[in-house]
Amino acid sequence: MTVGPMLDEWYPVGIFGQLDEAGRKTMLMDEPIVVARDGNGDAKVTDSSGRILPVRVRYGHVWTSLGEPKKELFAIPEADQPGRRFVDVGVVRVRCSPLRAVENFLDIAHFPFVHTDILGAEPHTEVQAYKVEIREDVDEVWATQVQFYQPQAAKSASGGITTQYMYRVAGPTSTVLYKTCPPRPSEWDVITLFVQPLAEDLCDVWPWMALFDDDTPMTDLIHFQQTIFLQDRSILENQVPRLLPLDPGMEMPTRADLTSVAYRRWLKRHNYTYGAQLVAQ
Amino acid sequence: MPSGTASSWVPVALSSDLPSGTVMPARIPAGPLALWRSQSGHVAASADRCPHRGMSLSHGFVRGETLSCIYHGWSYGQAGNCLRIPAHPGLTPPEAIRTVTHPVAEADGVIWIAVGEPAGTPPALAGLVPLRSLAAFAGIAAIEAAAGTRANAAGLLEAEDIRLLLSSAREGETLIHVLVEADASPAARIAAARAAEGLRRKAEDFQKKGAAR
Repeated sequence: MTVGPMLDEWYPVGIFGQLDEAGRKTMLMDEPIVVARDGNGDAKVTDSSGRILPVRVRYGHVWTSLGEPKKELFAIPEADQPGRRFVDVGVVRVRCSPLRAVENFLDIAHFPFVHTDILGAEPHTEVQAYKVEIREDVDEVWATQVQFYQPQAAKSASGGITTQYMYRVAGPTSTVLYKTCPPRPSEWDVITLFVQPLAEDLCDVWPWMALFDDDTPMTDLIHFQQTIFLQDRSILENQVPRLLPLDPGMEMPTRADLTSVAYRRWLKRHNYTYGAQLVAQ
Repeated sequence: MPSGTASSWVPVALSSDLPSGTVMPARIPAGPLALWRSQSGHVAASADRCPHRGMSLSHGFVRGETLSCIYHGWSYGQAGNCLRIPAHPGLTPPEAIRTVTHPVAEADGVIWIAVGEPAGTPPALAGLVPLRSLAAFAGIAAIEAAAGTRANAAGLLEAEDIRLLLSSAREGETLIHVLVEADASPAARIAAARAAEGLRRKAEDFQKKGAAR
């Protein structure tokens, strides 16, 4: 199996603040790697042959690539904005395609059924029309004007609100969402899902947040996000096939799925097929 | 044999294990099923996959006379047609959105699935009633070897102290339904359950050693 163009992309491989000199043994696209802190305190990633891989430290995480990245790691300007709290949520291992993990993150229609009474609740199930585009200048998938009624949109929310969302696919397994910030209506809270592809059907998911919330204890912020993601895992590990089908026919989208449709189209266009199934089986 | 490719009725579950308003996973050699009983008591069997995003329907929920997927709440009728897409409450789902369904029959406390087009009704159990089911990591041949006798064409295996109804789940896996006389005493029921557990251990041992190919 060849990885194809996804080889040259950046992937998260650990939380920088948790590295030590002994290093963390992990996998990236079937390749064993070690992520460590060197004598100078910098992150260092090596593959099984001892080759030193490119490294970036951004958004609380260490990023690397098995190939030769043609683009710099995507920017999240909010990561430099004063007053935000940055939350390294940790890792959740999921027995699913890394692409399915991203697609689930882009989906709002499941909120009332999977995140019941937190991110959604019946009878508020309708997904209103929203806008989706592939922005050619930055080569990213964007969904805007997304809104949904939520009983408890964030740890800082009290009572139900209609939450506004924007979704952004910044890399094949990296996605960022911007959502209504309950204590500061003029700003967006930033919640990301950085997915480390361990194999085509196995991934480590690293959520990260940049929030305006000075009150909620860090532990509670982490627990809230972990609760949400563990609910998602119960879905992701029970989808058939495990790989994401890129050809039509195998799965049936509706209007609510336009973000997922654009994401699949964008993956196919770039030949980003690690974790994908191309032929309907 | 009920496990072959020819048409047959496959005993996939006991009625008592599927109360009204619930769904459970089941398996026939052709693949996994979502087996569910509506509020009014009607049993239906669907392929265990929602055509929207591939989620397993046996993880779903039953409301009234419909089975819903736990992922996005798409609901299906007994004939497999999609009835409702909650993200678009005003939309009548197109006919093309449906799951594959299988004919079901329920008799003598056993739920049977038609594989292919079997003639007639499921085999009668002649005064026997189901007690419980056990999953075995053993093929039917290994179970027959452990019991020292063969199952009949309906999948019924009768030995000295035990009567079993066998359902092939997949290669090397069998669902065993333990049967007893309708008027069996509590002690006889416990003895039958213990005997079946003993037989399962022996059959799984045979399977591991490959002695019953």
